Amino acid sequence: MTTPAALTELGDTKKSMKRPKGPSPKLSPAARRRSLTGWAFLLPAAALIGIMMFWPMFQALILSFKTGRGTNLAFADPLWFNYTRMLHDEVFIQTIKTTMLYLVIQVPIMLISALVLANILNNPRLRFKGFWRTAIFLPAAISLVSYSLVFRTIFATDGLVNDWLLALHLIDGPVNWLGQPGTARMVIILGLLWRWTGYNMIFYLAGLQNIDPTTIEAAKIDGAGPLRTFFSVTIPQLKPMILLTVIMSINGTLQMFDESFNLTQGGPANTSMTMSHYLYKVSFQNNPNFGYGAALSYVILIMVAILAAIQMKVGDKRD
Amino acid sequence: MKILRAGAAVAATAAFTLGLAACSSGGSGDATGGSSESSGSGGNTLTVWAWDPTFNIYAMQEAEKVYQQDHPDFKLDIQEMTWDDIQTKMTTIAQAQQYDQLPDIFLVQNNAFQKNAINYPDLFAPLTDSGIDFTEFPAGVAAYSTIDGVNYGVPFDSGTAVNAMRTDILSQAGYTIDDFTDVSWDDYITMGKDILDKTGYPLLSGQAGSSDMIMMMLQSAGASLFDDQGNPTIVDNAALEASINVYSEMVKDGIFTEVNSWDEYINSLVNGNVASTINGIWISGSLQSATDQSGDWAVTDLPALSGIDGATHYSANGGSSWAISSNADYALASDFLKSTFAGSTDLYDTILPGAGAVANWLPAGDSTVYSQPVDFFGGQAIYADVLKFAAQVPSNNTGVYYYEARDAVSAAITKIMGGEDMQTALQEAQDTVEFAMS
Repeated sequence: MTTPAALTELGDTKKSMKRPKGPSPKLSPAARRRSLTGWAFLLPAAALIGIMMFWPMFQALILSFKTGRGTNLAFADPLWFNYTRMLHDEVFIQTIKTTMLYLVIQVPIMLISALVLANILNNPRLRFKGFWRTAIFLPAAISLVSYSLVFRTIFATDGLVNDWLLALHLIDGPVNWLGQPGTARMVIILGLLWRWTGYNMIFYLAGLQNIDPTTIEAAKIDGAGPLRTFFSVTIPQLKPMILLTVIMSINGTLQMFDESFNLTQGGPANTSMTMSHYLYKVSFQNNPNFGYGAALSYVILIMVAILAAIQMKVGDKRD
Repeated sequence: MKILRAGAAVAATAAFTLGLAACSSGGSGDATGGSSESSGSGGNTLTVWAWDPTFNIYAMQEAEKVYQQDHPDFKLDIQEMTWDDIQTKMTTIAQAQQYDQLPDIFLVQNNAFQKNAINYPDLFAPLTDSGIDFTEFPAGVAAYSTIDGVNYGVPFDSGTAVNAMRTDILSQAGYTIDDFTDVSWDDYITMGKDILDKTGYPLLSGQAGSSDMIMMMLQSAGASLFDDQGNPTIVDNAALEASINVYSEMVKDGIFTEVNSWDEYINSLVNGNVASTINGIWISGSLQSATDQSGDWAVTDLPALSGIDGATHYSANGGSSWAISSNADYALASDFLKSTFAGSTDLYDTILPGAGAVANWLPAGDSTVYSQPVDFFGGQAIYADVLKFAAQVPSNNTGVYYYEARDAVSAAITKIMGGEDMQTALQEAQDTVEFAMS
């Protein structure tokens, strides 16, 4: 995962590397050796990334211009056939809407509660801090598949939630949580919140610990209440961290697969299916249409890239 | 600076999506790793892929013993592999054209046979010259693995549908199993309501959003979601509409309880929450795990759709067939299948009591083992009955897009149950399937 900090570093090193290259390309033998050593260290990783990531990506791009079932692939006519095809794909459009719904509801709730939790945990007077921190972070250490299956069991018609609600006389009969579009989506969002809130909280905690306590003290002396301090002093200093978590969460949500696949199997009536789940279905479960699947994956990539670019532009005011 | 960073962000996000992109790049190096067995290399050993140690793998082991009687050097190398893995492997091998990675014989789900054999014709060896007499299998079952008149699979386990009922619950409401034999769905629903009122037990349970029940009703009338040319016939399909009507009426009346997972479905049977189930005969294996219900079960034929041409009391769900791969030692593999699964009464006599594997091979039905009473089913010789049903199951065209059509119809049923107009929902389903086929 590339953090904004790392991105800045990347930019900076590129800039600084340019400098000696500038007017005098001549390097002293020692400097050249150092430079070569550096490149030698970079090469294996760069080559691996190139071969295992960028080359398949390039092949996928080519593949996305092909059409046909199974092995009978041929270049489509017109080339962008797969891309125009998805405009008429009702199921894909529904998965986009569903994914966006998850995004719009889940990401803000998750990030705000992560922020609140991080602030509570950052309070120096809180007791058993380590315990709370571990308890809240622990879900993030659990495999996506296993937690999905646990949620599936909890929300089964004869599952824990129904048993409790029945015992409390809040409902008359068992609710078919995963069998109705609204509740099925709600269960997925709940699962996501449970799994990822602690994860994001750790980022905020790290960010909060980097904030100079004197700034908060100064605000207090100036007469700011806790809310004012939070919004005017803490939040601005947390901004890079918030930006990072927002990008990561949007990224993760747009590519969400495990929950949709394991928890609800995309049902009922495809209403809880995510884009990535549909892409998997098109490629592997239905008649294999790898060309179309590749095109779908590129559209997801483009959506992620655009959203990330907007985030960077909106969120970063340092330049 | 900003542009550079945005560029870097694009690169970074590109890396995130890569997993997906790589997934769909068609597996360029995947197939070479993993299995190193030298299948199809001649000799006396055949490699086999199958998935259930207590069922089809067990049957293969018994077949090995049968064949060894005449061919002492013969050996099988059976590799356990779930159906999902076999499907993924087939796809990967075919995409990468690494056919030497195929075993000699592998088991294929009947419903997925057409799709794989048509999309990847090079995976399978035609059984035309194998000497296997396919007329000794029920036409409806052999049709799953027949493409353009050529057989590609030897039908193994029977998916013949049965209506298995708890006679103790029926008698509480004053019914016997005979009251449910050769009835129509209308009568079935009437009696179901009565049983629900008197005993509180719903008749059926099943997975919500699964179309198994509908597909069984459809096939019982010889109908399908496709016509003979393979065009979808989801709209203006009288049998489908009748099936959906029956299904939604049963759910509304509470005769059919919808559950969410396969496990919940099995639990509803084993825990005795329902009075009956309708499914392929392979369900008898799961039923018999509830030893406390021994003797309380009986088996009869299915209700028939009223007012539909060609409606019968017989249908099928699931089942699988043995295929010989294009990489196989064809002579040995075909002779092995011909002498065992398509020619050995002994084999079927062993695996029926051993694993509850009901033969599709019709001559096996003459064996006395099939007429043995089964205690769990109150002394009924259910396997003999099942064979009688099997011979009458109407054949229907599953086609290449069977899974897409099933999914689309499942979605439509969910919508119809949610109050959407049936014609609209079915039209949407038809559009979805036509889109997938375009």
